Amino acid sequence: MSLPNLQGRAAWVFREDDYDIDLIIGVRNIKITDVAELAKLAMGDQEPGFAATVHKGDVLVGGRNFGYGHPHYPAMRAMRHLGIAGVIAESFSPGFFRGEISMGFPLVTCPGICALAQRGDALEVDWAAGVVRHGPSGTALPIQPLSAAERGTLEAGGLIPYLQRRLGTPAKT
Amino acid sequence: MAQTMTEKILARCAGKASVRAGDEILARPDFVIAYDFPGYTDVFFREARDDFGVDKVPSPERFVLFIDHMVPAAAPKEEELHKMTRNWGRAQGVPVHEREGIGHQVSAERGYATPGAFAVHFDGHVSQLGAFGTFAFGARKGVIEPFVSETMALTVPATVKVVLTGTLQPGVMARDVFHHMVRVMGPSSCAFQVVELSGPVIDAMSIEGRQTLCGQAMFLGATTMLIAPDAKTLDHARGRSKIQLDPVYPDADAVYARVVTIDVSQLAPIVVIPPSPANTRDLMDHVGTVVHTGYLGSCASGRLEDLRIAADVLRGRQIAPGFQLHVVPTSQAIMAQAAREGLITTLVEAGAFISSPSCDYCFGKIATMSDGQRAVSTGTLNTPGRMGSVDSEIYICNAAVVAASALEGCIADPRPYLLHAASAASAASPGEAA
Repeated sequence: MSLPNLQGRAAWVFREDDYDIDLIIGVRNIKITDVAELAKLAMGDQEPGFAATVHKGDVLVGGRNFGYGHPHYPAMRAMRHLGIAGVIAESFSPGFFRGEISMGFPLVTCPGICALAQRGDALEVDWAAGVVRHGPSGTALPIQPLSAAERGTLEAGGLIPYLQRRLGTPAKT
Repeated sequence: MAQTMTEKILARCAGKASVRAGDEILARPDFVIAYDFPGYTDVFFREARDDFGVDKVPSPERFVLFIDHMVPAAAPKEEELHKMTRNWGRAQGVPVHEREGIGHQVSAERGYATPGAFAVHFDGHVSQLGAFGTFAFGARKGVIEPFVSETMALTVPATVKVVLTGTLQPGVMARDVFHHMVRVMGPSSCAFQVVELSGPVIDAMSIEGRQTLCGQAMFLGATTMLIAPDAKTLDHARGRSKIQLDPVYPDADAVYARVVTIDVSQLAPIVVIPPSPANTRDLMDHVGTVVHTGYLGSCASGRLEDLRIAADVLRGRQIAPGFQLHVVPTSQAIMAQAAREGLITTLVEAGAFISSPSCDYCFGKIATMSDGQRAVSTGTLNTPGRMGSVDSEIYICNAAVVAASALEGCIADPRPYLLHAASAASAASPGEAA
C-alpha cells in the first residue's frame, strides 16, 4: 500500500515559529463541535473570507514547532472540512503531530519549506521519493521519514482503521 | 548495553533486553490514565466498543480515570458526561477518582507514579509523573490503543540530559527554572525527545518542584521529562506504588542526543508574557504592568510550597481593592494539609477566593476574564483566550509573584515581602536559623 501524493497550493503560510493552532479558529471557539461552523470561523482573525480561497487538496505551510501549546483538534477539523489535505512545516510540536497523524491527516516535516513557499505556490509531497516539490522554483526538498506506525496510520486513513487492520478486528458492516 | 532511563523502561515494557533511541517497538503501558472530557473519553469508550468489539479493556487493573475538569458541573450535559464515566468505570472495574484533585497530582498521591513504570494519558501534562522516575507521556488520540490492545506502537525517543547546577536564590521557584530552560534551550529544542533532568538543583529540590518542572515538558517540545529516583521519591513511592518494580537509573555511559548544563545561581524570577509559553522574560522588566486577576493553582503549580510562599507574601496584608485572587489547591490532600497549617486562613484573610481542586480555572471555564483584563497566573498556558476573552492577557509566573501582584494590583516582585516574612519568622523563633 502506498500513500497518495499530496498536490495542491499553499493555502496559507504560517511563518511564525511556535504557532499555536488554536488561534486558527480562535480559542473562544474551541468548544464548538459542529465542523461546518468551525470551518466558517477558520482564519477569521487572520483573513475573513479565507474559506472561499481554499481549493480541495490545498495544503498549509508552517514554520518551526508548528502546533505548539495545547493542540486541540477543532482547528484541523475545520481545515479538513475546507479541503486542506495536509500541513508541510519546518517541524512540528510532538503533541500536535501525534494527534493529527492519528486523525489520518498528513503532516510533512520539511526543513526549508518556509523560506521557499509563498501563498498560492503549487506544492507536491512525493512520499516515495521523500521530497516536497516546489512548483515555481522546481526545487525538491527532502522530507523527514515517517515511522512504520505513522505511515500505516496515514495509509489506513487514521488510527482507528489502522489499529483495526493491525489487530485483525473484523471490519464493521 | 548502556541505556538511558527511557530506553530501560521501554525495553522492559517491550519485553526486550534493550532498546535504542529510534527503535520502533510495541510497548505495554503499566498504567493507562485519563480524565473525562467531551471528545476524548466518551469517544474512546464508544470506539473501543463499536469499532473494536472490546467490551472489557485489556488488563483493567492498569486503568484509572479522573473527574477533574467540569468540577463542579455547571450544565446538565457536563454531569451526564461524568455519569457516563462513572458507569463505564463500574462496568470495567476501573477506578474513577472524582473531586480528589487534578488527576496528574492525584496519580502521584495514589501510587501511579511508580518509579520505573510506563504510563500513558492523552494529556501531555502527565509528564509530571517523571518527577518520580516514571516514563509518562501524552499520546493524544493514541491512548485509544491500550484501550483495545495490551500494547501500543511507539518510537523510542532519544534523550537530552539537562544538568542544573548552582543554587536557587530566595523567591526563585521551580516554575522559574522551567521557563528559564525554555528561554535558554528554546521551545522546540527537545522535540520528540525526552529530557533527563539531574544535578545539584534537582537534588536539593522538593518533590513538588520536580513535579512542576516535569509537568511542563511539552513546552520544550519534549515527549516527557524524567528524574532518576532518589531517597525522597523512593520514600514517597514506598507503600503507595500500584505495582512493584525496580527503580530505573540511567547508565553512566548512556548515549544522549546531547548534554546541556545550565547554572541557575543568577536566575531571578521570570514572567512568561502573552501570547505564548515560549516568551520567557525577566520579571523586573514587567513590574508595574497593571493586572486585574490572579490564579494560583493548576497541575503545574498549586501545591503546598506554592501555597506556603503565597501565604508568606500575603500574611497580615490585604490584596488590592477590586483585584480577584483565585487560589485553587491542586488536590484535596494538599488543601487539607494547607488548612492544618493555617495557610487557608491566611489566604482568606488577605482576600483570596479559595476553591476546592478543579481544572476549570486554568482554561477559563470559571473565573473567566473579559475583554481588556489581564491575569498573573501559575496555570499551564498563556494563549490568548485561554482564561476567557481572546482580548484578555495572561502573564505566567511563580506563586509568590501572583501573591505579590495581588497586593499591588500590578506585576510585582515578591522578594521584599519574602525577606520581611523571613525576618518576622526568625524574630518569632530566635532559636532557629532563618
